[in-house]
Amino acid sequence: MDFDFWGMIGAFPSLSRAAFTNLTIAIVAMSLAMLGGTTLTILRSFGISIVNGAISTLISFVRGTPILVQIFLFYYGLPAIGLDLTPIQAGVLAIAVNSSVFITEIMRGGLSGMDTGPVEAAIALGVRPRAIWGRVILPQLYIRILPPLVNELTTVVKGTALLSVITVIEVLRTAQQIANTTFRPLEPLLAAAVILFALNLAISQAGKHLETRFAARRG
Amino acid sequence: MTLDFSIIVDNWQLFAKGAVLTLVIAFISIGIGFLLSIPVALMALSHRWWLRWVSGAYVEWFRNVPFIVVVYIFFYGLPFAGVRLPEAVVGTLALAIYASTYFSEVIRGAVLAVPKGQMEAARAVGMSYFMGMREIVAPQTLRLLLPPSTNTSISMIKETSILSTITVAEITYQGLVVQGATFAPFEVFMTTAVLYWLITSIFARFMHGIERRAGIAQGGNQNRHSLADKYLQIGTKRVQE
Repeated sequence: MDFDFWGMIGAFPSLSRAAFTNLTIAIVAMSLAMLGGTTLTILRSFGISIVNGAISTLISFVRGTPILVQIFLFYYGLPAIGLDLTPIQAGVLAIAVNSSVFITEIMRGGLSGMDTGPVEAAIALGVRPRAIWGRVILPQLYIRILPPLVNELTTVVKGTALLSVITVIEVLRTAQQIANTTFRPLEPLLAAAVILFALNLAISQAGKHLETRFAARRG
Repeated sequence: MTLDFSIIVDNWQLFAKGAVLTLVIAFISIGIGFLLSIPVALMALSHRWWLRWVSGAYVEWFRNVPFIVVVYIFFYGLPFAGVRLPEAVVGTLALAIYASTYFSEVIRGAVLAVPKGQMEAARAVGMSYFMGMREIVAPQTLRLLLPPSTNTSISMIKETSILSTITVAEITYQGLVVQGATFAPFEVFMTTAVLYWLITSIFARFMHGIERRAGIAQGGNQNRHSLADKYLQIGTKRVQE
C-alpha cells in the first residue's frame, strides 16, 4: 500500500474546522481552570487545616491519576451518581478540574519565590486581604507564572484530543471518521497530528511573545 | 444511588492483571526512553547546528502532539510499513519514544546546570569531549537529574492509560471491560483511578527516599520569616514535615 499524500492534504480542510472545537474547549477549560486554580490557591492561604487537608488530597489524587481515567470518571461515573452531562460538558469539566490542580501548584511555586516587600507594605498599611490578593499579589503573580501557564495551556490542548474517546467530534475523532470512509487511517491521523502540532506551536510562540512584552514588569 | 464495590472484588483478577501489565509497560518504556534520550540530549548540546536542529525538531514534534495521536500513528503506521507487532509492544515503543523527548529535556537542563568550567578543565587536561562528559560532567548531573526524572516517569506511568485505546489490556482497558460487563462506571473508574494513585504514590515515595539518600534537599529551605508568609508560603510547612 502506498502513502496517499493527496489524501492527507485532502483531510486538512475538515480537520482544520474540527480544530476549532479543540481550541474552544481548550479556552473554556483553561478559563475555568484559572478560576479554579486561583480559588484553590486563595483557599489554601487561609490555613484552615480541614480545607487544606481536603485540597492536598485532591491535588495528590488528580496529579497521581491519568487524565484519561478522570475523563471516564466524569463522563461515565457522574451520570451513575445522578449528574447527567453531555460528552463536551463532561470533557470540559474533567480537563478544567485537572488543570485547576496543576495551576494551583504553579501558583504556589510562583508565590514562594515572590518578593515579600509589596505584601508586607500592604499589610503594614492595613490593606484588606481581598485587596492584597486582587491588587498586590495576583497581578504580579500571573505575569510571573506566564511561562508555566502557557505550557499548561498546551497540555490542555493535548488533553482535548483525548475527548475523542468519549465521542466529542474534535480533530482526532474527525480523523477517525475520515479513516472509516477511506479505509486509510494513517493519512488523516498524520494530518491531525500536524494540525495539533501547529496549534500548540502557535500557542507557545504567542506565549514567548507575551513574555518578552511583560519582561520589564516581571519581578 | 448506592455504590456497590462487590463487583470490584469479583473482578479483582482483571484489575490485578491490568496493574501488572501497566507496571511492566511503564518500566520498560521508561528504561528505553531514558537510554534513547541520552543521544538526543547530546545532540541538543552539540556545537553542530544541524545536530541541534534534528534533535530540536524531534523533541518539539513529540512534545507538541498529544500522546494519543502518537499512539494511533504507531498503531496504524507500523503495519503500513510492513511491521506487525503485538499492540502491547507497539504501545511500549510509542511510549518509549515519547518519553525520550521529555527525558532529553531533563538531561539537557541538568548538563547546562553544571558550570562550564568543569568541561573546559576536562578538555584542558587533555580529555576528549565524550570523556569529559562521561567522567566529569555526567557524575555531577546525577543529583540534578533525579527529581525531574521522577516527575517525568510519573507522567509516563500515567500516559500508559492511553494504550487502552489500542486495546492493550492494562488497567484502564480492564476498567472499560469490567464497566461494560457490570454497568457500574463510578465504582469501576474510581477503582481504576485509585490503582494508578497507589502506583504513582508508591513510586514517588520510593524515589524521594533515594533522593534523600543522595542528599538532595527537598523544597526550598528558605529561612525567612515574614509577615507576608501568610500569603506567599502556602502549604509549605505541610510539605516539609
